[in-house]
Formats: sequence, structure tokens, C-alpha cells
Amino acid sequence: MSMTRMNVQAGQVEMASPVSHAAEPRIRIRDVTLSYGALQIIGGISIDIAPGESLCVIGPSGCGKTTLLRMLAGLARPTSGAVELDGSALGGPDRSVAIVFQDYGKALLPWRTAAGNVSLALEARGCPARERPPIIRELLEKIGLGRHADKYPSEMSGGMQQRLQIARCLAQEPKVLLMDEPFGALDAMTRQALQDEVLSLVATTGATMVFVTHDLEEAIYLGDRIVCLQPNPGRVGRMVDVRLAHPRDQLVTREDPEFLRLRRELYDLIKDDHQ
Amino acid sequence: MKQLSMQKLLLGLLGLATFILVWKVITDFKLVSPIFFPSPARTWTALLKGLAGGPLLAQTLETVQRMLLGWLLASLAGIMLGALIGVSRRARAFIAPTLELLRPLPASAMIPIAIAFLGFSDQMVLVVIAFGALWPMLLATIHGFSAMEPRLYEVSAVLGLSRLQVIRKLALPSAMPMILASLRLGLTISLILAVVGEMLASREGLGQSILLASRSFRSADLFAGIVILGAIGLVGSGLLSLAEQRLLRWQAVTR
Repeated sequence: MSMTRMNVQAGQVEMASPVSHAAEPRIRIRDVTLSYGALQIIGGISIDIAPGESLCVIGPSGCGKTTLLRMLAGLARPTSGAVELDGSALGGPDRSVAIVFQDYGKALLPWRTAAGNVSLALEARGCPARERPPIIRELLEKIGLGRHADKYPSEMSGGMQQRLQIARCLAQEPKVLLMDEPFGALDAMTRQALQDEVLSLVATTGATMVFVTHDLEEAIYLGDRIVCLQPNPGRVGRMVDVRLAHPRDQLVTREDPEFLRLRRELYDLIKDDHQ
Repeated sequence: MKQLSMQKLLLGLLGLATFILVWKVITDFKLVSPIFFPSPARTWTALLKGLAGGPLLAQTLETVQRMLLGWLLASLAGIMLGALIGVSRRARAFIAPTLELLRPLPASAMIPIAIAFLGFSDQMVLVVIAFGALWPMLLATIHGFSAMEPRLYEVSAVLGLSRLQVIRKLALPSAMPMILASLRLGLTISLILAVVGEMLASREGLGQSILLASRSFRSADLFAGIVILGAIGLVGSGLLSLAEQRLLRWQAVTR
């Protein structure tokens, strides 16, 4: 890789990326560790995530990707260190941090319709009953479920159920959207469609996204930065900037030489860890 | 679909007809003395007479009222207690051994205790019904609550649902299939205990009427009472089925 090419690409990014790393971070992960008894799962991770940034987390299984995400959601407490949201320590789950779980089948309420599931988030934040229907309609419309408001999750495909979970998260009006391998169980076409929708949602809402995936290409496609974790205990192996223009396109972006270069680089990183 | 349920209904009626036919054959051939075992026709006549001019209608209403009141008490107490115990692991640990000790006691064994406290009164019968019918609802609610998908607890934490909201909006609906099944079981127990209670405490109702008919060898009246008890059970369970279909619509979709 020649220096000149790197510089040219770096120049492109300044224009394309809406993220400024100089701003006060939305999330600050400060030297976080997590142990269960004698077993250390996370061994000292520090990352700053800027407002509006999209950070993808990759790494071999058992490297603590999901555990890290659960700490950001307030569902797991760090043994030492702290997670800060807008400068103040996160003590537990917070309504402004939404999380999309991989197992949509378990995260949705099977006895509520699509509209009812979205409504749950509104009920939780005390939104009056008569104000809910228009908000629900708009959210379902936005995520492509406008015609399926009265369907139960069991009547929906996996992709639709995951859309519904995302809609429910958006109803929280979150500043941070955490995603735990959300598309891992979906077929390739659905997955690509949802990737694009998530990107446009993040762009329009300005939410900060942390996206855990084991799919390198997904990480490159969605991320502004990619953190590559190493296992035993989980720690930052490498932080990679993604210098690809926005908005991204399933064909153009994936054929971009930079995309292919990143894929190669990350592949080698992960492969080394597996040896 | 419609044809299938029609077929089911016809088969069910056929089964009932066979049952009555066997009954008729037994009595026609006097396999059992008619003093103890009346024919279907005699039972039917006694039933109509009892309902039209006789005391049967009033007694039926008495028993149904007793059954429903006891069942309602047991259901409310069972579900509320179950919810309280079900949401807290500590409460479960605290109360589980005591419950296991009380649960296997036959409700009829509680009758002497209830009589000691309340005498031969309607309240006594009610307490016995409520105690006996409480268990299915209580256990189903506790179990349903503790069997709630753990992911939903996380969802509720992230959404910021209050504890009461978690109970009302997540735990209760997710336990609903089990609770509804237990409501049906509880209704049967309530009917049994209403009859037993009436017999033992000689309160007005079908139980007492059956007992008196049996003592005075009025076998047709005895059987008329039993037919009504069967009908009460059938109607009760049918109504609960309807409620179940409505409340568990979301499940029907998957099947």
C-alpha cells in the first residue's frame, strides 16, 4: 500500500464522513473489564464513540463482542472501569440506549400485534394513549411494515420480525442504537435490504450505532470504524477506519477497491486470531 | 375448516347417543335394579318435572352460584398471589416449601378445619371451595411468571418499564395460556367441592338434593341431579373455551 494512495483516500473521508472525532464522545468506554469469578471475559477496553458515528465490532467467537454490547446497554456491569453516556456514568439500562437482539423471536411479544409491540416502547415512556397511533403508524411505515400493523409476530417472516424490533427500538427515540448480530439469522437478500435501511435510519435520526457482527463485509459496509476484538480476555486488537463514501451502495461500495482492501486486512486479522 | 368442525360436532353427538343407548339397554334388560338405576326416560321426566315445578331449578342456581363465587375467589387470590410470588425469586424461595406442604392436602380434608372455624355455614363451603380450587391457578401463575422468556425481562429493562408494567404487560400475558388452562381445572374442582360441601354441611343445592334423593331411593331424581351437574360442567368448560379462543388468538395463528 503506497502512502500517496492512503492520503488520497483519507482526503475523501473528510468530505464523506459526517463524523467529527474531535467532538465530545457520545459513549466513552473507559478501561472496562469484566470477570465472572476468576474468569476474565473483558480485559481492559477503552473506546470513544462520537455522536452519529457507526462503530462495528468484530472478532472471533468468545472475544466478548456481545458482552461489550450488553455493558453498553447497561444489562451487564463492568467489574472495573466505566461506560459513560454523554459524560455521565451509565448505571444501568437507559431509555436513550436501545438494543436490537439477534433472537427477534424471543424479544418480541407474541401476543401483541406489530402495532402493539411498537406501542410497548411508547407505553414505557408514558406516551398518552391517543398520541400513540400516529407515532406507531409512522414508525412502521418508515421500516416498511405499514401494511402489517395488525399482524402478530408469528404471521411475519424473520426479516419482518427483525424490522419490527428495530421499529420498537426507534420508538424509544434512542441516542444510541446497539445491534447484536441482528441479521445473523436472515437470508442474504433480506440482510442487504436491512443493512441499507439501518444505514438510512442512522443517517436520518443521527443516532450513534454500535453494531456487533461476525460478518466482515457487513462490518465494512455499515461502519465508520471497525474495532477488532481479540479473545482471552476480550480486548481491542485493532481499530480500523472505514474510508468509504456515504451513502453506501450494495454494488458500488462492495466493489470499491478500498472495500476489498479492508476485507483482506480484516480477514488476515481474524485469521491470525483463530490460529 | 367448517366441514371439519361440523364433523367433530356430529361425532360428539354420536358418542353421546351411544352412551345413552348403552344406558337404556342396561335398564331395559334390568341388568341393575331399577330402584338404584333409572332408565334415561325416567331420568328425563324427573329432570323436566324438577326443573318446571320442583325445587331443581332453585337448587341448581344455588349450586352454580356457590361454585362461581368460590371459583372467582380462588382465581383472584391464586392469580394475585401467584403474581406476587412469581415476580420475585426471593419470594418464591420463601414460600415454595410451605406451598408444597399445603398443596397435596385434599380439600375435603380441610372441611373439618373449616367447620371448626366457621360452623355449618355457606361461608364454610365457600372457603373450602376457594382453598381447593386455588392451587391450579396459583401454581400456574407462579410457573408462568418464572417461565417468562428471560429476553423479555431485558427488553423491559431497556425500555424502562416499571415493575407493575412488567407484570401487567409482559408476565401476565405470557403466563396466560397456563392460567387459562388452570382456570378450567379450577372450575371443575369448584363444582366438585360445592357439591361435597352442600352434602356435608347440608346447605341448599344440588349436592344436598342428590344426597336426599339417594337416601330416599328416588333414583330418578338422583340421576336428574347428576345430569344437571354434568351439564354445568359442560357449559362452564365451553364458555372458558370461548374465552380462551379470544384471549389466545395470537396462538391460533401459529398452529
